[in-house]
Amino acid sequence: MARLSVSPTSKLNSSFVWLLCLVLGFSTMLIHAKTVLTIPQQLRLFPNRDTQELSISWLGGTATTFDLIILRTEFNETVLYETVSPTVNEESGLHQWTWTSVEPLECTSLSVQIRSRDGQSTSEWSYTETLQGKDLPSNKDFQMYPQDRIVPVGANTTFCCIMEEGMVFDEMYYERIVMNVTRLSRRTYSTTVFDQEASRPAGNNLVCYSKNKEKLTGASVFVGYPPLPTDFKCETHDLRSAVCQLNEGRETHFYGKRGTRYFLNKRNCTWLQQGQKEKTCSVDKWEGNWTLVAVNPLGQYSLTDSAELSHRVCPVAPVKLDAIVDAWNATVSWQWEYDSYSSLALVCKVQITNSGDNELTERVFSGVGLRSVFLSDLHPDERYSVKVSCGAQQNFWKWGNWSNPLYFTTKIYVPEAPDVWIWINRDNTGKVIWKPLTRRQSHGKLTHYEVSFWSPEENQTVAPTVSLSPSTLAAPVNLTQIASFGSDKIIAVVTAKNDAGSSPPASVHLHLTSVEPLTVTRIVYTDKGFPLFWESSASATGGYVVEWLDASCSRDCPVEWIKVPAGTTNVSIESDQFQPGIRYNFSLYSCSSDSNELLQRWQGYVQELVPSASLTLSAGQQDSDILLTWREIPLVNRRGFLLGYNIYISNGYQLTLLANLSDAETMSYTIKGLTKGTYKFTVKAYTAAGEDTGTTASVTLEPYTDWLILEILASLGIVTLLLAVVTFACYKKRKWVKKAFYPDIPEPKLPSDWPRAQGPLDVKPSPHSMVRVVEKPEYDCSKEMLVAIPEEDEDDEGQGIGDEPVDTDEPTSLRYYNQVVDEHPIRLRFPDSSTSSVSSMDSAHTDVTYTGIQTSGSSLVLQLDPQGSSEGRQPQLNQSVSYGGGGYRPQMQPRAPSDDMGLASPEPFLEPQATCTGGYKPQCSWHLDSPTDAAERGSLAPSLGSPTSVASTQFLLPDGEEHAGEKRQLSSSAATWFTNLLSSTKP
Amino acid sequence: MAGRRTRNINGADVRRSTLARASGIAEQLHYECSTLLELFRKRESFPEDVADGRLVSTPPPSSQLDARDKLWCIHSALLQCQNLLEKATAKEEEELGGGRKGEYENQRKMVKERLSLLILSIGELLKAADGTAVLTPSLEGLELNIPVNLFELKVWVYRIFKEVDYWSKTTITALKDLPSVTVKEGVRTTRARDRRSTRR
Repeated sequence: MARLSVSPTSKLNSSFVWLLCLVLGFSTMLIHAKTVLTIPQQLRLFPNRDTQELSISWLGGTATTFDLIILRTEFNETVLYETVSPTVNEESGLHQWTWTSVEPLECTSLSVQIRSRDGQSTSEWSYTETLQGKDLPSNKDFQMYPQDRIVPVGANTTFCCIMEEGMVFDEMYYERIVMNVTRLSRRTYSTTVFDQEASRPAGNNLVCYSKNKEKLTGASVFVGYPPLPTDFKCETHDLRSAVCQLNEGRETHFYGKRGTRYFLNKRNCTWLQQGQKEKTCSVDKWEGNWTLVAVNPLGQYSLTDSAELSHRVCPVAPVKLDAIVDAWNATVSWQWEYDSYSSLALVCKVQITNSGDNELTERVFSGVGLRSVFLSDLHPDERYSVKVSCGAQQNFWKWGNWSNPLYFTTKIYVPEAPDVWIWINRDNTGKVIWKPLTRRQSHGKLTHYEVSFWSPEENQTVAPTVSLSPSTLAAPVNLTQIASFGSDKIIAVVTAKNDAGSSPPASVHLHLTSVEPLTVTRIVYTDKGFPLFWESSASATGGYVVEWLDASCSRDCPVEWIKVPAGTTNVSIESDQFQPGIRYNFSLYSCSSDSNELLQRWQGYVQELVPSASLTLSAGQQDSDILLTWREIPLVNRRGFLLGYNIYISNGYQLTLLANLSDAETMSYTIKGLTKGTYKFTVKAYTAAGEDTGTTASVTLEPYTDWLILEILASLGIVTLLLAVVTFACYKKRKWVKKAFYPDIPEPKLPSDWPRAQGPLDVKPSPHSMVRVVEKPEYDCSKEMLVAIPEEDEDDEGQGIGDEPVDTDEPTSLRYYNQVVDEHPIRLRFPDSSTSSVSSMDSAHTDVTYTGIQTSGSSLVLQLDPQGSSEGRQPQLNQSVSYGGGGYRPQMQPRAPSDDMGLASPEPFLEPQATCTGGYKPQCSWHLDSPTDAAERGSLAPSLGSPTSVASTQFLLPDGEEHAGEKRQLSSSAATWFTNLLSSTKP
Repeated sequence: MAGRRTRNINGADVRRSTLARASGIAEQLHYECSTLLELFRKRESFPEDVADGRLVSTPPPSSQLDARDKLWCIHSALLQCQNLLEKATAKEEEELGGGRKGEYENQRKMVKERLSLLILSIGELLKAADGTAVLTPSLEGLELNIPVNLFELKVWVYRIFKEVDYWSKTTITALKDLPSVTVKEGVRTTRARDRRSTRR
């Protein structure tokens, strides 16, 4: 213990020291630790409500970083929680940090707390400092923030609406758009407008409505741009002060008190021109250096300029202009507003405008203190307006403003000589023509024209001078009449007159040597007119005249002309009068002192068109072809050079090209190889522009009758020739014919007891002829019939000849006929037969009495079928009738009614009508051969020995000939044809 | 007497024509002010009842008032409208002027000029009614607290236009009741004068 007490004393002391040191060290550490993380004190809030910035200051010890929390007081919502490194005010030791709020600071109360931070160590939070909003219960108003905010285009702006106490929020609108809202506190609602566009001049509205739109409040916001002026320049007008100009540049969209303000060298600029993009600001003294500052709520922009005064002189506009005027010139004078200009070298431009043609010219003059200029080359009697603008001749800067215009009219002067030409008709009448003088050529109002005719040979006028009104542009002339004055070279002289006097005379020779040139050349119109070229003529001492007119005109034509100086060999003719589709004739005349001579002629169209009228077309048949002919289109209707014709044939609605005639002179066309029928042909003339509408002609192609007639005639001639040959042959061979066809009748063999008396043969018809035709008193064509002599009567005679070997029981003639005419044997019957043969009708006409020696006969003579006349042969009768209808039936025809030719028939024919009316009836008219005629002659002699029937033109065929029937058929057919032919040729 | 009677008749005619002219101007003003209101409403996207409450302190003319008082009342109200309109225009120009003049600005100018004409016409009627010079009514009580911020300024301007519209309409109604009264009173006054002159 002692030790402890002793030792302990020392130990106690050392322990105490150690303990003290430990405590001191620990306390030192604690003290040090408490110094670094001091709880922020003196927290203060400094709101800037315009910029929505909240400046926070506090005392925070040695800490350099702090945690900062900002809450919306009412809803205790965190707006910001951030570790910040604030700046420290060295004097006061206050930490300061600024926070920019999205919402206006008035919207609702904000609470701020801060604590110190050192790494992960933090101090306690400071006390809460609150920035009171406008939504406190003490402020019951209906409010909107921010008010009248000005923001740049594209910015976002948050608005808040504080409802009136007890009022219910409804909606917020930006202009007419409903906005999304966020509730910030019990009464506060906010909305944000993003990326705003430039506002209206009166600002855009954001309106907050209470429930049911009972109340509203709102705020306006202006959205625009900062100023951006351009083109800042200063100059002087009076050589003393400065006038600065600028262009406002981009539209800021701010007006009124928010509009851009300008400061020139820090002085507020007084604008001379308001409301325009270009602004002018005046400074009393030339300073040489200028700075322009443009300012608006969003910012400012500066521009500078510097220059010497002499380099920026822009003279003012001359004033009090005056003029001393003459016919061809004027002196214009003016005054200057500033006397200082008297020593200034000036360059002035004078703008001269002619009121007549609005021609504008500028002339430049210069001189020191220039105050007047002389304007030459004006035109008489014309109204001018003159303006003057000047600039500094040295160190030219720009032209000054134009003066007010000065108007004056120059004095009148004598007119110019008219441009005269002549037009002569074919009958030597014509007119002297001249172009009207323009206002510029007239030099004053024309009073009249004078026309006189002068003979250079006699050196005197040949007709009294004619005075014509200013509107007259032609004077008639009669070359024949003028020639009577004894001179063929007369010059027409035309002068124009106004109040200043008479124009120089314009003359033209009346005698035109208009020998037609050999060729007329075609010319093509170009963009520059009709290009005319010619070879130079030695006779053209006075130049050339090119005259043109409508080619279709022939008398008193409206002619145009142009005078070309000598030496020129080409010209392009252009005229307002040119029209497409009209052919113009161009004539080139050489002019000399003696005469005008036609040198060359052209023709051309400005534009060729299709013909306006179609040609006159006619069509006709020529032999078996069709000939189209037409007349040419009148010149006035051609409207182009005709290149040819197209010929079409019309097939219904379609035209088929038949031929293209490229020769415009061709006026006809023949179409061959067409069959008979009706055709339509269209002929179209064409020019370079195309075809006309065409003319159509219709024609019907008939068979060619001439050829037919020729063929018939040739056939007849051949037949005639053949007949003649046959006749001739028969004549030459008549013996043979006679032998062949008419052999001699053998003499009868007489019995030995027959006396052979030598005497003449009694040729008197025997009353015992084998066949006798008996006439019936009453004629009935249908009942004509052959009446045979009863065999009893013949018996006597038959005895006489019955011994002859050639004779048979039947009479020879009848046998013959049975063979020739019909295979049916002829059976002679008495007339009591009820159905006599139809063929007997013909024999009834024959009225031949055979003497029994007749061995030859014609079928025409006898009844075809005696059996057919019987009752049992009735069908054959019909057959006979049918036969007769198909060919030659001479025997079937009835005779003409005659008392002495009718054959009695007790029974009528079955078909008398057919028999009577059908078929060929040549014998009805051959009365000469009729038996009646023969009977009248009172003799049968003609029939004796005759080889033919007197009623027939045919030869009677010999008996025994083979195929006699067939041959007779053929012969009958030929005879029928020939007879028909003869008959048809009879009238 | 005859001459005086003639003058009385002529005086009544003048009053009638003045009254008719005033009525016509009031009607024209009402039409033009309606157009102006419509233009403003469209421009600012305002509902029709955006602002209520009177700016003109003059009470509407009661039917119990006589003609002169009615006229005085109208005259006073129109003068206040004119004053308000001038202020509104000036403030608008200050805040928003400098740009191009559009249809709204032209219509506003037309209403201002028409209102001045109507005030003159009513003044003539007033003068004709009591035969004395028209005293300029007091503008006391006129609400001239011009709003600071622009939106409130717009609402205020709109209220002024509505006041002009209201008083032009009131003037039309009041003038319709006036003719017989003013003429009779005019005749009555003339007769009283005649009587007085006869007594003399």
